[in-house]
Amino acid sequence: MRIVVPMKAVPDLVEEIELTSDGSGIDREYLKFVLNEWDDQALEEALLVKEAGDAEVIAVGLDSDPDIEQALYAALAKGADKAVKLTGAGEAPDTHARAEMLAGWLGDQGADLVITGVQSPDDLDGQLPPALGARMGLPHVSVVTSIEAGADAGTVRVRQEFSGGRSTELSVTLPAVVGLQAARQSPRYAPISRIRQMMQAGGIEEAPLSPASGTSGLRVRRMYAPESTGHAEMLTGSPDEVAAKIVELLSARGLVKG
Amino acid sequence: MNAFTVLTDSTSVTRPIFQDIHLIGRTIFYVLAAAATVTFLYGWWRRVAKYRRGRSAGRGATVRSALFANPFSGVHARRDTSSVGVIAANATVSRRHLATGVAHFMVFWGFIALFIGTVILTIDYDILRLSTKLLLGHEISFFYGTFYLTYSVILDTMGLAAVLGLAYLGVRRALIKPPQLNYARAEDPPGGYSRAKMVAGDWLFVWGLGLILLTGFFVEVFRIRAENFPPFEVWSPVGWLGARLVQALGLPASTSLGVHTFFWWVHALLALAFVAYIPFSKALHILADGVNLLAHDKSGTRSLPAPAPVEHIGYQKIEDFTWKELLDFDSCTKCGRCHAVCPARAAGAPLSPRDLILDLRQWVDTQSSGVTLLDREQRPEATGPLSPNGDTKIAGSVISTRTLWSCTTCMACVEACPVGIEHVSTIVQLRRGLVDSGDMDPTLQKALQNLAQQGNSFGKSARMRARWTKGLDFTIKDARKEQVKYLWFVGDYASFDDRLQENSRALARLLHTAGVDFGILYEDERNAGNDVRRVGEEGLFELLADHNVNALQAAHFEEIFTTDPHSLNTLRNEYPERGASYKVWHYTELLAHLVETGAIPVEPLNWRVTYHDPCYLARYNSVIEAPRRILRALGCELVEMPRNGANTFCCGAGGGRIWMDDSYLTERPSENRIREAAELDVNYFVVSCPKDVTMYSDAAKTTGHDGALMVQDITQLVAAAVRVPELVGAAVVASGAADAAAPAAPSPTPTAAPSPGASAPSSGGESPARDVAPPTIADEPSDPTAVSPERSASTDTEPAKGPARPTDGPP
Repeated sequence: MRIVVPMKAVPDLVEEIELTSDGSGIDREYLKFVLNEWDDQALEEALLVKEAGDAEVIAVGLDSDPDIEQALYAALAKGADKAVKLTGAGEAPDTHARAEMLAGWLGDQGADLVITGVQSPDDLDGQLPPALGARMGLPHVSVVTSIEAGADAGTVRVRQEFSGGRSTELSVTLPAVVGLQAARQSPRYAPISRIRQMMQAGGIEEAPLSPASGTSGLRVRRMYAPESTGHAEMLTGSPDEVAAKIVELLSARGLVKG
Repeated sequence: MNAFTVLTDSTSVTRPIFQDIHLIGRTIFYVLAAAATVTFLYGWWRRVAKYRRGRSAGRGATVRSALFANPFSGVHARRDTSSVGVIAANATVSRRHLATGVAHFMVFWGFIALFIGTVILTIDYDILRLSTKLLLGHEISFFYGTFYLTYSVILDTMGLAAVLGLAYLGVRRALIKPPQLNYARAEDPPGGYSRAKMVAGDWLFVWGLGLILLTGFFVEVFRIRAENFPPFEVWSPVGWLGARLVQALGLPASTSLGVHTFFWWVHALLALAFVAYIPFSKALHILADGVNLLAHDKSGTRSLPAPAPVEHIGYQKIEDFTWKELLDFDSCTKCGRCHAVCPARAAGAPLSPRDLILDLRQWVDTQSSGVTLLDREQRPEATGPLSPNGDTKIAGSVISTRTLWSCTTCMACVEACPVGIEHVSTIVQLRRGLVDSGDMDPTLQKALQNLAQQGNSFGKSARMRARWTKGLDFTIKDARKEQVKYLWFVGDYASFDDRLQENSRALARLLHTAGVDFGILYEDERNAGNDVRRVGEEGLFELLADHNVNALQAAHFEEIFTTDPHSLNTLRNEYPERGASYKVWHYTELLAHLVETGAIPVEPLNWRVTYHDPCYLARYNSVIEAPRRILRALGCELVEMPRNGANTFCCGAGGGRIWMDDSYLTERPSENRIREAAELDVNYFVVSCPKDVTMYSDAAKTTGHDGALMVQDITQLVAAAVRVPELVGAAVVASGAADAAAPAAPSPTPTAAPSPGASAPSSGGESPARDVAPPTIADEPSDPTAVSPERSASTDTEPAKGPARPTDGPP
């Protein structure tokens, strides 16, 4: 089985993120980028599938993401068979452009399974996995917490998580796209010495994206930093009294008609 | 004694060799002696062959230096390396265990003397007499007269010393039963175990030596009785008195000869059997431990060895160990001193340094078809170290993962070991394999990932490292941009931990006020990597260290001081080989100098305090006096805890333990330590390590001592003692009010606590102002004349060199 894990580097959220002067994006110049944590989960699950049977794991990233090489070397250090950096991705493509670029490259890779993170800090809606599935014309499952060999050949059994602690088990016909929520075990550690070995061996392959790919038709006009204020008013009293106070507060601000 | 002169000249003043043992007997004796020697050599050869399977340890120069360069080094005070003098004096055996050491010394030298006596006899009888008889036709001997009498009195005395020493050691083992001689494992393996054979081996050793000594004396006693007391034999006083005793008991001379012959054989057979037995038993330590001590170097723990230069990472087979490590395992005599001092063991962790060494020894023994006879543990099933399976994982199966992760690398075991075993470096080598396979606590993994990404274990942005300086009303110099005398390597905890930032600011204010010319690296500092290296993540250590080395090389400073003793250790001892060789001080060394010279003017605090030595400061780097000098200068009454100085007890945070789960411990080491301090009736528990502040504040709470015992960094004591001149004091109050809006201004703890003796209000009754050095006098050292070089030199009693004077006057 051939598993491809598309990975994305995102700003380390411990950094103070600032907007560019024209407000059309975040200032990436001084930011430290790290692997999207859901993609780390996706890689872990792919490696678990590999260890349980016979599979090849290919990690792939876009050259638009700063420090993506670090994530790709780490993937190799953890046991991925191949790491590919797609070049020509431009600057900061959005999720749909990203999906189109990845789908274009994946088209002739013969992947049985594409596992990627269910979401990322700049894709909290989790659009990448379904967009990938749609563009490739493949079945898609998101919010998955385990992938195991299916009862029939050419299928996998996945567990999909719902809110409230419920989940369901689905049989998925391959090839398919999976948006991974959490791997069966926490992502393994990549020792720095192994990452360095991979860097010295220069194990990342590069592949050019086809020039036409990567257009979403979307344009960001303006971004806003979330406003943070330090006020919190604790309402006390019986549920009825508190409800009354809430209504009063909301109507005072013109948010409900009282 | 008039006959003395006549007698000592006479060839008749001697004793017969092989008295009453005739040709057959002598032949049997020589055959057995040869067999014993061959057996001994075979066993020793097998042992040496095993050590030769190990890698080079790079200790050739250590051995040569210990043998020749400095034969008396380390006899009085513990040094990194050992010497012939240390071994001869049994200095390591008697350190902190005087009675045992003296007893061991008596047995040690007693047997050496008896051995030399036997060699002399062989030279005389088997070489000189035999060769002269064959060559000259008549025997020449020196074994008579004055020589014989001297020989007799020395050997009798030394033999008696050995008997007495051995008797004490036997009584200690059988009746006193010190806890460290209890061989119960720190953790029972599944299926159980028995160490009865080990105990049997110990007793065989004690009784074997004892019987050899006693029968030797019996031979002498019955010979003197049989010879009817030749007068010169009073020079064998023990034999003489014994002979008088058997005479008084009514044994006639005629019978005595037969008894003598009987004991001669028993003595000879026991002695020969013992010689043959040495390489197969605990007695091996007679040979192995001297060599192990000569090859011992404590600096190999301070500055860890690189990973083994082999294909895989971590130890997997015998050949991955160095010969010194293999010799370490065989050198252990199970004295249990490491077991007694280990904080992990005391906390109920599965780690006991003794068990670790014994398990590794048994594993190597099993894998190499070893020759040990009794000194083995037995288990119903051959698990762990007993497993004959060559694929058994050393880290994970022979030694359990949790055992390896329990080590705080406090080095108490290495310090306590009388035979130069280096447990910590071996543990780290085994941990390297665990890290490579990702076998670690999730919390540790998270810390390492944070360190890899942001250079600090807190996972905070590297750019926020110097944010703690925001609460200061002066700017700390940027050593990347301007020349400073001292570079302050602040460290993760002092920079990022909310509870410690005020401490860092207090230190900054003190140094600034005293006119010390210092700067920091701002966001170019990374975790120094000391604990990362001890976790076993060598690649990450290299990453961090190389970043810091580059930053240091690009910065402009003369010397370094650190807040964190762990950072100090790696900067001082491990960075030089990576290209950053600087003089590295601890901030207590700097403060000691400043308060003693008056650069920081202080008034007596008169507090009753105890002081906790950080392992990495006191035991690793011998900085023991500086904090005590500060306390003296502050007029504090220091009440020492029983475990202090190089014998300090770990807080449990070292070696990366601070990033790991400790919920499986029955009593955290820090709690054990707080209970020790609580016995002393002191009000302050003074520390000099940022990690200690957090560890002990928590422990004081969990043990319920937080009301009576205040955990305080020594910086806070100095800040509390700073003498504030009246006028400047008023300014401080004003500036303090102006600062009130600053986030960190409401400060703190030291004066909020009951401070006995510190009741005199210093500045108009505003007592809280006392614990912050007045910022307004920052540009004017208040008493420049107090900075006197002479005084500084005379008070620098620090073993590891006192700091150079910070500045020579106003900036």
